[in-house]
Amino acid sequence: MGYYEQNVPPVRDARLKIGDSYQGHACDLVNCGQEGCLLQKGRGFWQANACQMALSLMMAATVENSVIIMHAPGGCGALLHSLSVPSAKGRGIRGKAPLPTPWLSTNLSESDVIGGGEKKLLETIEYADREFRPEIIFAVVTCAPSIIGDDIEETVRKARSSVSADVVILHCPGFKSRVVASAYDTFYHGILRGLDLTPQPWVDFKPLPEGGPDNELAEKKRLFQKSRTVNVWNATSIGPGDEGEVERLLAALGLKVRFFAEYASRSELRLVSEAGLNVSMCNVHDDYMLKFLEEKFNMPYVIAGMPIGFRHTRQWLLQVASHFGLEKEASALADYEEDLARKAIEPFLEQVKGKSVLLCGGVVRVGTEATTLQELGFNVLGIRAFHYDEGAAPIYEDVGEALPETHVSVSNQIFEMTHQIKTLKPDLVISHSGTGGYIAKLGVPSIQLFNVDNSFFAYNGIYQILRRIVFEFKNTSYRDRLSKHVKLPYKQSYFEGDAFKYIKE
Amino acid sequence: MPDFLERPRTACALAGALSVIGNLPDVIPIVHTSLGCGGNLANSVAFGSGYLGSGYCSGGAAPSTGVTETEIVFGGVDRLDEQIRNTLELIDGKLFIVATGCVTEMIGDDTAGVAGRFREKGFPVIAISTPSFKGDSSHGYDIALDGIFNNYLPKAEEKNPKLVNIFGLMPGYDPFFRGDLEEIERLLTGIGLEVNTFFTPSQTFENLASAPSASLNIVLSRVWGVELAKRFEERHGTPYWVTDLPIGPDATDKFLSEIASRFGLDASKAIEKGNHEFYSYFGRSADAFCDQDLKYYAVTVTNSTYAIPLARFVSTELGWVLVDSFVTDQLSEEQKPALESEIKFKLATGTQEIARAINTGHPRNRGQRYFDELSPLYIIGSTLEKRTAIARGAKHLSVSFPVYDRLIADRGYAGYRGGLHLFEDLIGQLMSMKS
Repeated sequence: MGYYEQNVPPVRDARLKIGDSYQGHACDLVNCGQEGCLLQKGRGFWQANACQMALSLMMAATVENSVIIMHAPGGCGALLHSLSVPSAKGRGIRGKAPLPTPWLSTNLSESDVIGGGEKKLLETIEYADREFRPEIIFAVVTCAPSIIGDDIEETVRKARSSVSADVVILHCPGFKSRVVASAYDTFYHGILRGLDLTPQPWVDFKPLPEGGPDNELAEKKRLFQKSRTVNVWNATSIGPGDEGEVERLLAALGLKVRFFAEYASRSELRLVSEAGLNVSMCNVHDDYMLKFLEEKFNMPYVIAGMPIGFRHTRQWLLQVASHFGLEKEASALADYEEDLARKAIEPFLEQVKGKSVLLCGGVVRVGTEATTLQELGFNVLGIRAFHYDEGAAPIYEDVGEALPETHVSVSNQIFEMTHQIKTLKPDLVISHSGTGGYIAKLGVPSIQLFNVDNSFFAYNGIYQILRRIVFEFKNTSYRDRLSKHVKLPYKQSYFEGDAFKYIKE
Repeated sequence: MPDFLERPRTACALAGALSVIGNLPDVIPIVHTSLGCGGNLANSVAFGSGYLGSGYCSGGAAPSTGVTETEIVFGGVDRLDEQIRNTLELIDGKLFIVATGCVTEMIGDDTAGVAGRFREKGFPVIAISTPSFKGDSSHGYDIALDGIFNNYLPKAEEKNPKLVNIFGLMPGYDPFFRGDLEEIERLLTGIGLEVNTFFTPSQTFENLASAPSASLNIVLSRVWGVELAKRFEERHGTPYWVTDLPIGPDATDKFLSEIASRFGLDASKAIEKGNHEFYSYFGRSADAFCDQDLKYYAVTVTNSTYAIPLARFVSTELGWVLVDSFVTDQLSEEQKPALESEIKFKLATGTQEIARAINTGHPRNRGQRYFDELSPLYIIGSTLEKRTAIARGAKHLSVSFPVYDRLIADRGYAGYRGGLHLFEDLIGQLMSMKS
């Protein structure tokens, strides 16, 4: 039985060669990833992080007209309070009603953990359907009910007969993987199993009359339109600015662009299969879903890295264009856009030349941005990827060629980052959200690796990245002063030894 | 426990405990559960409680065993033992608290045994049991402090007759805990007492260590911290006094008089000075307050600690008309009677449930020529009430968890100064509409 037929999706650790504890260089990382030795590595000291549930919630909270039910003890949903702010805002920017996603908790008690919580889940689904009238109800299953083995499928099957919403199950047992990126597979598994991804007659389209004289022409028109439509797959780190830039470029090639699955509604998701190509914007986001769509609807897909910087953007664009035989047009477009953008960034390049930089965050983004910055004249001191899996291999083969001597680690650990910043003393840190405060307290200038309010992709993106770096260097007083008044929890002896001393086989 | 909750205004026992530990000086958490719990739960207050953020060794810096399937199957004590050893090697702290989550409780790890072995070797390590299914953040507050005061700190040889401990305000889940504690400390030192607040910047580990020698525990909540204070009395012989958090001059006068009489002190000068200061500011604003007709109907939606003090402040000091007071805590049948007062409260948690209660209890004018509408209305609650308020044209201020539409640093509403701050914020919200 393939993954897609299973009730519970595999965690990344079971599906791919993966790891979260490594230090060395890019070439060795790729080899270690291929041989599987990365899987064996761990740490003797860990700091708390997020889990696949957190990222699954971030994605689910964006889906239009949905309600989230935490099938969990009372605490698991607590981060949804603050998650509702960006998702409501993201809706507003995309022209949808800027409402927060309501959520509920089955609030499992000690007796539920012993006796099972299925009845509560059923009641909560029925209440959510009645009270909020959503199109989609996400049933998020966390550690506790996964351990006691609540029969979620059966409970949801019962619920489906009495509620009008579609119920999507997101299996998020945090203990099954330390790798947050497992959430992408969890989320897509829920979507592909819980929702109808084909257009419905009379709802989404008007069927052709039997034997109608214009049928042949109409069908040809539909197929042509479909063949020129591309689905571009977004995810939490990709904001409307980046979507706009990608749409602008693909539209210039004559393609119709639609974004999935964040911020989509049930009816929009039904149209997923009505496209000629699925396009990824990150190697570790959506291969699970894209391979499903290929298997199920015979839709081809392109996974070609992340369009950050001139070289990677051109490569991404050409790969998408090659599917349509538009390489020449794409190449000309890239030439034109590059020319404009290179002139625009010239004044910034003078100011950042030779600056040393440390990058921390998502594996594909940090690798792609590192080589981009090196090409623009930065001195890349180190790359810290939050996790590594084989999907990222092409990126790190490239890093291995461009930056063979640069230190690469797989780490989302604040203490290791602190050590590296204190010992490498970079001029700039580019880092994932959740770490900015820690970097400021070390007195080092930094910008965010991503932020949905800003642009990072393609030509506008590289201009904005450089503009924000220059902006950051204009005044660093806040960090300088703050760092003088912060006491770190780590003993001085740690900083005198190896940053990665707690990594073990 | 109710069957299910809509948008609960709390998290779990582990979350409450981590919030306590992360705000105590030199106390380090060791989160014994999946790697995600520590970060996710810390974020609920780091971003959901006026952007409290992370401290010395909390949030993403908190040591955690990060147990995985292997430990779920074979037990997590070896991982815990290794994590404690390395935490002691790497992290500077005076007390290390192992706090459990659901998964390690479900597999039955002997966490206390592991911590005990470290303590036998002279390391300051204790363990507390804080799975989510045992209770919410308020319980975690109780469990964490109980672990420190009633299971770890030795009994005091003698009492300090001037020393009091303050309990009842929960870090994070009471968004103004720091500012409120600062003012309580200022008021009490003003009448000659010494105060352990534990969670404010002036406090050190020494304040925790000296707690058993206090002569009185003041619990500023009718519900939370009371059990803790009872057990504290059993262990250390320190009596406790449960009272409301005083907000504004009327409540603060009574608070100071009562505490002074308990200690045989004179609070009259402090009261006189506090009132003089308060009314010197408050009096001047009467021009704007009256000329602009800033009298409102008020609905409060808060946890049980803030409900009565807030309702009394708007009724007594501002002369507003209180129409509803919603208490959003999950209270047991034994806890409910504690909230009885002249303020009639309703227990409700769900945002939708509360919005409906406000709207059906006080219908809108549907075009009637003469209609005594509940207007002008001010809803003082959490950020979750903002949309409820906007939908019926009411004003709104966030004071109760979750608060994510304002940043809170040392702001507090307790005492004379806090009363002025609350007044400023309530009215400032109205003035901010002007352009």
